[in-house]
Amino acid sequence: MARYVAGRLAGMVLILFLVCLFTFIIFFALQPDPAVMICGKTCTPERIDQIHSVLGLDEPFVGQFFGFLFGIFAGRDYGQGANLVHCAGPCLGYSFQTGQSVWDMVVERLPVSATVAIGAAVLWLLIGIVAGLLSAVKEGTWWDRTAMGLALGGSSIPNYVLALALQYVLVVQLQVLPFPQAVAFGDDPVVWFESYLMPWLVLATGYACLYARLTRANVIDTLAENFMRTARSKGLSPALTMRRHALRPALTPIATIFGMDFAALLGGALITETVFGLNGVGKMAADSIAKNDQPVIMAVTLLAAFFVVIGNLVVDLVYTRLDPRVRITAQ
Amino acid sequence: MTLLRAKDLTKRFVSRGPLRARAEFTAVDRVSFDVRLGETLALVGESGSGKSTTARMIAKLLDPSEGTLEFDGEDVTHAKGAALARFRADVQVVFQDPFSSLNPRHTVERILMAPLAYQGIAPNGSRRAHAKELMERVGLNPDHSLRYPAQFSGGQAQRIGIARALAVNPKLVICDEAVSALDVSVQAQVLELLRRLQRESGFSYLFIAHDLAVVRQIAQRVAVMSKGRIVELGDTGQVFGDPRHEYTRTLLAAIPRIDPEWDRRRREKQ
Amino acid sequence: MSDLLVVEDLTVTFPTTRGLVDVVKGVSFTVGRDETVGIVGESGSGKSMTSLAVMGLLPKGARTSGSVRLDGVELLGRPDRELRRLRGARMSMIFQDPLSSLNPYYTVGLQIEEMYRAHRGGSRRAARTVAIDALRQVGLPEPERRVDFYPHQFSGGQRQRIMIAMALVCSPALLFADEPTTALDVTVQAQILKLLAGLREESGMGMVFITHDLAVISSIATRVLVMRQGEQVEYGSAEQVFAEPRHDYTRMLLESIPRIDDALDDGVRA
Ligand SMILES: Nc1ncnc2c1ncn2[C@@H]1O[C@H](COP(=O)(O)OP(=O)(O)OP(=O)(O)O)[C@@H](O)[C@H]1O
Ligand SMILES: Nc1ncnc2c1ncn2[C@@H]1O[C@H](COP(=O)(O)OP(=O)(O)OP(=O)(O)O)[C@@H](O)[C@H]1O
Ligand SMILES: [Mg+2]
Ligand SMILES: [Mg+2]
Repeated sequence: MARYVAGRLAGMVLILFLVCLFTFIIFFALQPDPAVMICGKTCTPERIDQIHSVLGLDEPFVGQFFGFLFGIFAGRDYGQGANLVHCAGPCLGYSFQTGQSVWDMVVERLPVSATVAIGAAVLWLLIGIVAGLLSAVKEGTWWDRTAMGLALGGSSIPNYVLALALQYVLVVQLQVLPFPQAVAFGDDPVVWFESYLMPWLVLATGYACLYARLTRANVIDTLAENFMRTARSKGLSPALTMRRHALRPALTPIATIFGMDFAALLGGALITETVFGLNGVGKMAADSIAKNDQPVIMAVTLLAAFFVVIGNLVVDLVYTRLDPRVRITAQ
Repeated sequence: MTLLRAKDLTKRFVSRGPLRARAEFTAVDRVSFDVRLGETLALVGESGSGKSTTARMIAKLLDPSEGTLEFDGEDVTHAKGAALARFRADVQVVFQDPFSSLNPRHTVERILMAPLAYQGIAPNGSRRAHAKELMERVGLNPDHSLRYPAQFSGGQAQRIGIARALAVNPKLVICDEAVSALDVSVQAQVLELLRRLQRESGFSYLFIAHDLAVVRQIAQRVAVMSKGRIVELGDTGQVFGDPRHEYTRTLLAAIPRIDPEWDRRRREKQ
Repeated sequence: MSDLLVVEDLTVTFPTTRGLVDVVKGVSFTVGRDETVGIVGESGSGKSMTSLAVMGLLPKGARTSGSVRLDGVELLGRPDRELRRLRGARMSMIFQDPLSSLNPYYTVGLQIEEMYRAHRGGSRRAARTVAIDALRQVGLPEPERRVDFYPHQFSGGQRQRIMIAMALVCSPALLFADEPTTALDVTVQAQILKLLAGLREESGMGMVFITHDLAVISSIATRVLVMRQGEQVEYGSAEQVFAEPRHDYTRMLLESIPRIDDALDDGVRA
């Protein structure tokens, strides 16, 4: 087992390295020159050269790339002499746009994205699984048809449409919710909750619809298994039959899909965060792309890749615990 | 000519619970034999003696802990990629538990066509006609080609497994208790089909069974397993007629028989 | 004392894409206390469906008519809630396909324990002891350790014995055994048959025994029911069915039994 995990970790490092490399190549090949952007209107060629040397942009590709990699782990220095700036590790460079440390930006915004992701996940798991279960048990009834019809429709609404519609109805028309604000939980829990409620709802809707359909399909398949007949033949109560024999086989595959979905969401919900003006990683990504702020784009790409890779590993480890057939052969 | 050669195949299973110490169990212990081209080798023996485990290693569904496997003159113990795909095309398995080896969400037609699709072979005639023909061969009603496995009886499901194995003209078919759920007349029909394919297309069989009368009918050679080892291997006539090992003798002596008195009375009436 | 089980004119109907299909057509038989009724017949003739109908475990959509009385009480049409109390405790069933009939997510110990506790209550620990004893009774090696194994860690015959252990754990009055020994070698089979016969004598358990092995039926059954295409073609005492079969199909079945010819007997004697 330990060997397996070690192998997987090594694989992860390799993947992250490749992601770094490719993102770097894209930026290296891409113009325009960031120095022009930083320098602004009152620019001279000398000033541009100076910026180049401070940022290390005059170095060859390999030098720049390893400088960046090294910075992530050990920190790095920018410029020389009086202009020297030390960027302590983990260093992801400085935003071309604001001059802020990218690492600090990430640390500041990650909690917002995590709050969005966790809240939405709780909602969609609850709604999706309960609705899917009910549909499966009442297969073919009007409840099943209505729920599945809604789920099919719900999963095809784009997030930004839903976000704008929700905002229009709840904030502008009915005025039951305030416009989302950045409030810490400790300062005012009620406003905090109200601010996050809409993003949660928006994100949860699509996933809940998807999970309801997945759950329903899995539970129906499981109920048709021969071992369910055995469970009934033993005279177990329907509740126990369902809870023990049907749920675990039906929900195990869903747990793994959930892990991947959740990990992807931690990397930032681009559209939802932007629409609601939440200062999360997603909005940071959207802003940086709009402004071609390369260090920030680099950071959000890496972050997303990091979460996906970690999520993958966790899912595989959890799966080997949940399914005994995999658990024993995994050695 | 030798089609398959297994040498010192060994399988150890490791079990380790959260609280229990690591325990090792040798399910198959240095088993060696070969299957000749166009021959039926039967594997009989105690329940839990490692027959299915051996079969799974031969089919490369399970990696042996030790030992080597040679197929068609080629070492396939660690075959991968194209070599493995070629091997899979030549070796088909009929599994012991019929329902667990059939995808419950696929119709019989799709199940039967899967090996062909996997190998990119176009069936002769339409898919449906081909599937129906396969079903007819094993005595299934071809009108049921669009049913799902759950709609069949145990013996019918077993025959779906047999039909699937025969769909691609393999060189070796591993039959793990392939006819155990069939009534004697359908069983006779399936055995006849297997024999005919052997005569006409030169199939080889590794035939695992508990019904010794069936084994006696179909196999040229018999290997007897007990506790993970082959304790006796010889021509069918010799193993049944002049068993050398104590376990084989016990086995032969335990075969249930119909009261000979009843049998005699029935024959007299005819 | 009245008969344990009386089945009269039992019909099982399935809706299919081609309309309603009767898979069991008017079957009648009785099982007395400490009596074994053997059901033999064609694969797909409705043997399993007959037992499932009595147990109230038919797949969704199946319809039944006729009458099934256990201890004089009608079972057909009873609400599931009431049948549940009988299932497991008064009547239980050994299913045909053990691997798919066991839940792959739980240890076999838990699957036996839950049945015991559903009817007898008690602690998990007590139930575990019972489960270990039950596994030992069916000849599973190392029951103390194996009780914590998952179904896929057993051989086909071992899984079959786990199903048997499970069905017997609450000492049912009526047992349906659907091909309970197909995956067992003849020596273990003999041991299981002895166990079942012993239970019949000691506790008066009634049994419906389904198999394709006519020799096994002749040694264990008091009465025999022969089925073909859902119909009951012959029903009588074992002696009558084997010695003086009335129906051509029965005669044909008895004729098709693969025989281990006389040379074998010489071998065992030698
Ligand atoms: N995954 C596993 N983990 C641990 N033990 C296993 C596993 N699979 C099989 N075994 C053990 O290996 C032994 C051999 O099993 P195998 O299935 O090969 O027997 P078999 O000869 O096919 O028996 P049967 O006639 O009952 O099917 C058995 O004792 C079984 O419990
Ligand atoms: N869900 C279903 N829908 C339609 N027909 C079905 C369904 N399930 C089973 N059948 C049919 O019912 C018939 C009887 O099945 P059953 O399982 O009772 O046979 P069996 O006598 O036990 O056969 P075997 O010896 O092969 O196990 C079979 O012909 C089968 O195809
Ligand atoms: Mg086996
Ligand atoms: Mg059956």
